[in-house]
Amino acid sequence: METEGGRISGSQLLALLVLTRLVPVTIEFPLVTGIEVPQDAWISSLVGTVLSIPPVLLMVHLSLKYPDKTIIEYSQLLLGKFFGKIIGFVLVWYWLSIAATMLRSVGDAYTTAVMPETPILAFILTVGFLSANAARTGLEVVGRLGEVNMLVVLLFGFLTLTLPYKVMNFENLLPVIAKGIRPIMLPTGTAISFFVQFIILGMVVPYLNNPQTLTKSSLGAIAISGFMMTAFTVALIAVFGPTVSSLMLPAFSLGRMISIGEFLERIEIIPMGAWTITVAITLAFFLWASAVAIAQLLGLRRFQALIYPLAAISVAFSILFFESFLDLELYFKEVWVPYSLTLTLGITIILYVASLIRGRSSASEKVIGSCHRNG
Amino acid sequence: MELLCSSAKYRVPTQFTVNKTLDKDDLLMLRSLTRLLRKNMWAASKPSQTKKDSTGGPLSKNVKVNETLIKQSFGNSSDLVVRELRVGPGGRFTVLVVYVDGLVDKTLISENLIERISDQTAKWCNPEQAYDDLKNRIIAVSDVKETGDLDNFLNHVARGDCGLIINDVAKALVADTRGWAQRKIEEPTTEATIRGAKEGFVETLRTNTSLLRRRVKHPRLRIEEHEIGTISKTSVAIAYISGLADEKVVQEVRNRLGRINVDSIQESGQIEELIEDAPFSPFPTILRTERPDKVAGALFEGRIAILTDGTPFALIVPATFTMFLTSPEDYFERTFMASAVRAIRYLSFFTSLTLPSLYVAVTTFHQEMLPTPLILNIASQREGVPFPAVVEALLMEVLFEILREAGVRLPRIVGPAVSIIGGLVIGEAAMRAGLVSPIMVVVVAATGIASFATPVFSVAIGARLLRFIMVLLAGSIGFFGIVAGLFALATHLTSLRSFGVPFMEPIAPAVVSQFKDLLARVPWWAMHTRPALVGHKDLVRQGYDQKPKPPASSGKDTHR
Repeated sequence: METEGGRISGSQLLALLVLTRLVPVTIEFPLVTGIEVPQDAWISSLVGTVLSIPPVLLMVHLSLKYPDKTIIEYSQLLLGKFFGKIIGFVLVWYWLSIAATMLRSVGDAYTTAVMPETPILAFILTVGFLSANAARTGLEVVGRLGEVNMLVVLLFGFLTLTLPYKVMNFENLLPVIAKGIRPIMLPTGTAISFFVQFIILGMVVPYLNNPQTLTKSSLGAIAISGFMMTAFTVALIAVFGPTVSSLMLPAFSLGRMISIGEFLERIEIIPMGAWTITVAITLAFFLWASAVAIAQLLGLRRFQALIYPLAAISVAFSILFFESFLDLELYFKEVWVPYSLTLTLGITIILYVASLIRGRSSASEKVIGSCHRNG
Repeated sequence: MELLCSSAKYRVPTQFTVNKTLDKDDLLMLRSLTRLLRKNMWAASKPSQTKKDSTGGPLSKNVKVNETLIKQSFGNSSDLVVRELRVGPGGRFTVLVVYVDGLVDKTLISENLIERISDQTAKWCNPEQAYDDLKNRIIAVSDVKETGDLDNFLNHVARGDCGLIINDVAKALVADTRGWAQRKIEEPTTEATIRGAKEGFVETLRTNTSLLRRRVKHPRLRIEEHEIGTISKTSVAIAYISGLADEKVVQEVRNRLGRINVDSIQESGQIEELIEDAPFSPFPTILRTERPDKVAGALFEGRIAILTDGTPFALIVPATFTMFLTSPEDYFERTFMASAVRAIRYLSFFTSLTLPSLYVAVTTFHQEMLPTPLILNIASQREGVPFPAVVEALLMEVLFEILREAGVRLPRIVGPAVSIIGGLVIGEAAMRAGLVSPIMVVVVAATGIASFATPVFSVAIGARLLRFIMVLLAGSIGFFGIVAGLFALATHLTSLRSFGVPFMEPIAPAVVSQFKDLLARVPWWAMHTRPALVGHKDLVRQGYDQKPKPPASSGKDTHR
């Protein structure tokens, strides 16, 4: 019995991971908003990228020990049915909460910047429905959409980064580390807290064409998204200077600065459209992961039936969790970092330790058995 | 009438079986009911057909009986010709010559059959000897078959073969004498190209297969004929190059064609709808064309063609989205021009899908995107227009579609008049009357022209329909609506498959080796491999290092 029939390639996984890391937060950009020393944020981004390599490698290593099992399945193998299932449900909760924040980001971005009079639910419901639609078609389609979309995102990202060159002033980046190491620490944590979303790769490994590409894909994803985040941070600081920390939608404002000749102005809506599609794809990825996880936890045969209910739940969450856009910003600044870090790192470490203990005793036979079945 | 009665008769016991199972199984009531009904209806309809077909049985030894049977089967149709000849020494033997007038080559029959058979010098002793002699020597037609079955015999006659029956022999000879009035091979009207072959398929299957065979002169070109349609008995041929086409896909095509159970096939469009992967998609997943060069090109990539008798439109499977935006001349024109034209085509497909909706979104919600002078201009033009932009756009689009449909149906003589009036009404008068703004006319005209830039009409229709939905989305929620529509479309297209091949290949999934033939078309000397997902049986199509270069010495000025 297999819940998901499709297979994706290493580059598709890389694309999905890049989108997972980059997109949900591009618009709020918690890396620079409301922090103490904004001109050093790019250092935090860089350091965060490097520091997130070990935990992600740990996740990869763990998943590769059980290449034919999802994180839901092998956590039950390692911790027993009861505790394994608890971990599974915690992960589903984590993914759904991310889905809710993503939906809210779309809604807030549009109601804040584009159409203030349209009810936020219009945007949230539309994106939720479209994502559910995409997630229903399975991982294969989501992966393909992600692959194409990553190219689009990189293109628009590149344009948004380079086109406002007229208003960039790189002296804004000075002085470097003027107030010591401490103010850089918090944004570093923020950066890592988004990278550890890569725990979702635990759901994808059995559905990879070639599980051995996992390490390469994950590291590639870290490199690409880390570079993009850092470049964005640099561009933002260069354009806006220290005022960047008080902006509501920094990346959107960056797009607003684009002006080519006399005819291409205020085209921020186009990168925003690309961003919306990207959120929809990433959301579909998370919805798919949650649905497959629940199907495996409860022993259901088809995950498709769970997609729409889960989408409805995340739409409801996105309305219930946050009262306003400021609330969402506050959440990213104060709740998200410890929440995401403890949850993902905690789960990874617990599972890893368990796998070490089990590896020494009984589970090794099972693992070998499963490997045989696989190959 | 007879068919109707018999199937109704067979449906009666069906209901009993349904009721019986219903009592047993309450949970799956609805599903099993429909399934059973369907199954039993198939079961009921199939024997009824075979029963109708098998009226004849074997041929009789008696010529008179055979003659009556044949005439009865055709219900004394006026185009059936049954000629009785007295042949052999002293006219001892009777030969029936049976053919359908209009389907046969009459000179062939009179010169190569009747004239030679009537030769009285033959010294036959018994009918069997006469039969063998006819078969082996006398009939001067290349393809002669024999049959002992009346049905088979009638089938051949109905196809334009000439049947010969000798008295006291329970077998018949059928000679291939097919020949009927057919359209000349002309340039295809719907797929004109500037460079490339000017011939198109015609309505006769045999001519069409010959057009293919002339382009693929290799015994590995396989042409399999199937008969579809219980009454129309249309010949449908599967053509592929053995060793290039994936045998599994060929088998799948055979299976899907074999599943078809209809009374008649008029056009390959029916076959398309009966075998396609996504019946409810606005976009076709099977490519149709009336160009032999396009079909041959597809065969060389490892695809499979389905040719149908009675229509010049051949089907190509597996089809991918990019094939619909490709014209054969892309491969014959110079590479830079071909690539540029291809880019224009992609742009115009996108334009025909989204331009009106972009206009609506920009003028209604995102005025800041346009340069100030332009938006002021638009605003002043729209001042007198009583409708919101979305109504204006829908109005104009519908008018345009009416004009376009009328243009197709118009008799040649009134055509120009109506298009002039239509153009005037839509362009000038509507504007003057204050119904629409001039910029809207520009948008609609540009959209219309863009939709004609798609090489394959059937994919343009999809964009044409979706355009209206996009306008409505843009009118209700602006750019976000367009983005939502595009995303839904992208999801749909990405989830499609055509005979196992992802429809959006090589874009999604990305097939890097195929990028050589996506937006840019690389020169032929760099076109080393076939499309990976289709032609994987024999991937390399040509030799490497074929880039032409002048001979080594010509670099120096040797001519001095």
